[in-house]
Amino acid sequence: MEFELTDDQLELQRAVRDVLDAEAPPELARAVADGQSDAAGFWQTLVDLEWPAMALPESAGGLGYGWVELAIVLEELGRHAAPGPFMSTVTQFAPLIAEAAGPGQAAELLAPVAAGRTTGTIAVDEGAGTWDPAEVSATGRRSGDDLVLEGTKHYVLDGATADETAVAVRIEGELRVVLVPGSSVQAVAGIPVDPGVRHATITLDGVRVPAVRLLGEGDASDALRRALEESVTAVAAVTLGACQRIFDIINAYAKERIQFGVPIGSFQAVKHKLANMYRDIERARVLVYYSALTLAEDHPDRTPAASMAKAAAGEAQRRCVQDGLQLAGGIGYTWEHDLHLFLRRAKVGELHFGSASHHRRKVARLALQSSAA
Amino acid sequence: MRLTYTSEVEAFRAEFSAWLDANLPDPASTTVRPRSSGDIPAWAREFQRRMFDDGWLVPGYPPEFGGRNASLYEQAVYWEELGRRRVTQSFNPQGLGIVSASIITFGTEEQKHRWAVPIMRAERTAALGMSEPGAGSDLAGLSTRAVPDGDRFIVNGQKVWTSGAHHADVLLAFVRTDPDVPKHKGISALIIETDTPGLERRPFQDITARQPDFNEVFFDDVEVPVENLVGELNDGWRVCTGSLAHEREMLWILWSQGLDQMLDAMLSQLNDGAGAGAADDPVVLDGLGSSIMDSWSLRLLGQRQLARSQRGLHVADQSLLKLLGSEAQQKLALLMLESLGPAALDRTVPEGAQSPYESDRSALSWADRYWFTFAGTISGGTSEIHRNIIAERVLGQPRG
Repeated sequence: MEFELTDDQLELQRAVRDVLDAEAPPELARAVADGQSDAAGFWQTLVDLEWPAMALPESAGGLGYGWVELAIVLEELGRHAAPGPFMSTVTQFAPLIAEAAGPGQAAELLAPVAAGRTTGTIAVDEGAGTWDPAEVSATGRRSGDDLVLEGTKHYVLDGATADETAVAVRIEGELRVVLVPGSSVQAVAGIPVDPGVRHATITLDGVRVPAVRLLGEGDASDALRRALEESVTAVAAVTLGACQRIFDIINAYAKERIQFGVPIGSFQAVKHKLANMYRDIERARVLVYYSALTLAEDHPDRTPAASMAKAAAGEAQRRCVQDGLQLAGGIGYTWEHDLHLFLRRAKVGELHFGSASHHRRKVARLALQSSAA
Repeated sequence: MRLTYTSEVEAFRAEFSAWLDANLPDPASTTVRPRSSGDIPAWAREFQRRMFDDGWLVPGYPPEFGGRNASLYEQAVYWEELGRRRVTQSFNPQGLGIVSASIITFGTEEQKHRWAVPIMRAERTAALGMSEPGAGSDLAGLSTRAVPDGDRFIVNGQKVWTSGAHHADVLLAFVRTDPDVPKHKGISALIIETDTPGLERRPFQDITARQPDFNEVFFDDVEVPVENLVGELNDGWRVCTGSLAHEREMLWILWSQGLDQMLDAMLSQLNDGAGAGAADDPVVLDGLGSSIMDSWSLRLLGQRQLARSQRGLHVADQSLLKLLGSEAQQKLALLMLESLGPAALDRTVPEGAQSPYESDRSALSWADRYWFTFAGTISGGTSEIHRNIIAERVLGQPRG
C-alpha cells in the first residue's frame, strides 16, 4: 500500500488550489449568499478549464482522470465553498448515467456534459433522507411510445436549474432510471442553509417523456447503488475541504487573537479543541481518499469505504462547526466574517446523502455480516 | 496512491511467514507462562534467540543486531504477520523495544555487545526506569540523583511504574547528574544491574488485580560503574526522547492490531447474540460503526506516515496516532461493556481467547479490558499531553 498522493497528484492539488484561490475567493461565495450572483461566470471558467470533463471517460470526450484526482478537486471546491453545478453534474448525474445507461447511450449522453453544455442532477430520495434505492416508490408506466411518471422527489441538488434530471422510478416492478428534461419538472426550491448548495423538491405528477429516455436495461438497483457510492464520497470530500478551511481560519486566529495579554492558542482549553479538530479532519481525510481509491480501483470495499468517508466527514464537520464557531468568539457570529460561508458548506455536507449516524450503522451492519460469513 | 504492496514486499512477507511456519514453538511447549513483562519463559527465550540469529527479531537492523536491513514497508508487513498470527515480538517488550534500542542508538560499541545483544537474544531481561512519584507527565522533573565519585556514580532516589523490574536483570534508569542547570540539561542515562546492593524492588498490582507488573524501585547509595553511562553525561534527555521515539514509525501497528483484535471479538460476540439483541440496537450499531472507522483510519494514517517516511518527509503524526489508537480502544471497550450490560458482570475470560505466543494480558474480560485501556491513555504521555504536543508542534500554537 502506498497511501499518499503521488507527485503528479500533489501538483494537481496545487494547480486546482491556485485556480480556485483566484476564481472562487470568499467574495464569490459571499456574493451568492447575498443574492448578488448566480456564479454563472465561475461555472463558465470551470468549463473553459475542462473541469467537468476531467473524470469522465475518454469515450465520452472526457479526460479520463481517476477518482483520487476527482477527490482532490472536490476537496478544494469545499475548501473554497465554491458555488455551481459541479457536484450535481459531475459526481451525481454523470456516474448514474455511466452506471445505468448502456455504453453507447452513456457516451452519447455524457458528451455534452464533458463539453460543459449540459448540467444534470439525480432525483432519488423521497423524504427518508437516506438515498436508499430500496425506498424508491415513484413510478413510471408505459403509454404508447412514452413513459408517464408519478411521484415526488426531495432534496434534488440543483433540481430547479439542472438541464437534465436522472430520476429513479419503479416500472413494472423494476427500479429504473429515466432522464427528464429540467423544463418538464415542477421544481420548488426552499431557502437553502448554504446558498451555494441549492436543493429542490420536484413533482413528477403526469410528466411524460419519450421511452427512449429510459436508461439501460433491467433493474438499475445495483447501478444506482454504485453511482451513489460515488456521490456520497464526493459529498464527503467537499465536506472535508470545508472543514479544513474552518480549521485553517481558527488555527490562525488562535495565534493572533490576544486576550489576557497572550494569544488564546496558549490556553489548553483552546489547544485541546484544536487538536481534536485536527484529529477528526485527518481521520476523515484518510477515509475520503481511501474511498476514492476503492472507487478508482473498483475494489469490493467501495461500499463500506464510501459510508466510512461520509460518516467521518460528518463527524469532522460536527466538531469543526461546533468548536470552530465557538473558538472564533463574537467575530465568527457575524455575517461580515467569512467563517459562516464554510460553516454552511460543512454543515450541509452532513445533512444530505445520509447522516453520519445512518452511514455508521450501515458500516456496522456490513461488518457484522462479513464477520458472520 | 495504491492499495497493494509491491511484489518485493510481498515476497518478504512470504519469506517471514514460511520462517514462522517452520520455527514457531509447539503450543504444547508453551505452558510455562511469563510472570511479568520482565520475565521470559525458557521456551520463549529460545524462540526469541532464534529470531535474532535468523535476522527476524528487528528486521530493520543489520544482521549483527538481529535484523536484515529491511525497508520500512518490509518492517510493516513483518508486524502485520506477527499480528495476524498473534505472536508477540518479545515477552520483554520494553527490554527489546526501548532499552536495547536506546543502547543500539546511543551506546558505545562495547555497550551494544555487552548489554543490548544479550537483551535482544533474551539471555537477560530489562526494565525502564523513567517515571518517579514526582515526575509523571513532567518527566524531565525527575529527581533521582547520581553523583560522580571516581570511577562510579552513587545513585539515590526512587522510580515508580517500573514494569517488570522485579524479574528484570538490568534497568535503564534516567537520573539527575546536574541539579544546577535547566531540568532537561542535567539528566543522564545509566544501565543499572538489579542485583546491585542498595537497589530494592517492590512490585504492586494494577487496577485489574493481576499478578503484579509494576514496581517501585528504591536506590540507596547504589554504586554504578561510569562505563554504564549511555550517551554523554547530562545528555540523557536526548536518549530519553530518542528511546520513546524508537520504532515510532511502527508503534501505530500495535495500536491498530490491539484495536482490531477487540473489534473482531466484539463482532463475533454480537453475532453470537451477546448483550441480548445488541446487534440490532441502533445505538450499539452507531458506536460500532464509529469504532470500525477508527480502526480503518488508524491503519490508513499509519500507512500514510510510512509513505511519507519512505519519501524522506518529516513525520509529525506520532502523537496523533497514539491519541487515536489509545482512545479508540477505550471507546470500543466502553461500548462493548455497555452493550453487554449485566452479561459483563462476569469477569470470566472465554476459552480460546488467548494466543500462546502472546502475553497473557491479551486475554481479558471486557471489564478488565476497559480498565486496561487506561494504561494506553495514561502511559507514554497522557492524552492531554499529546493534545498539547499536537497543538504546539504540529499546529504551531504557542507554548502555554
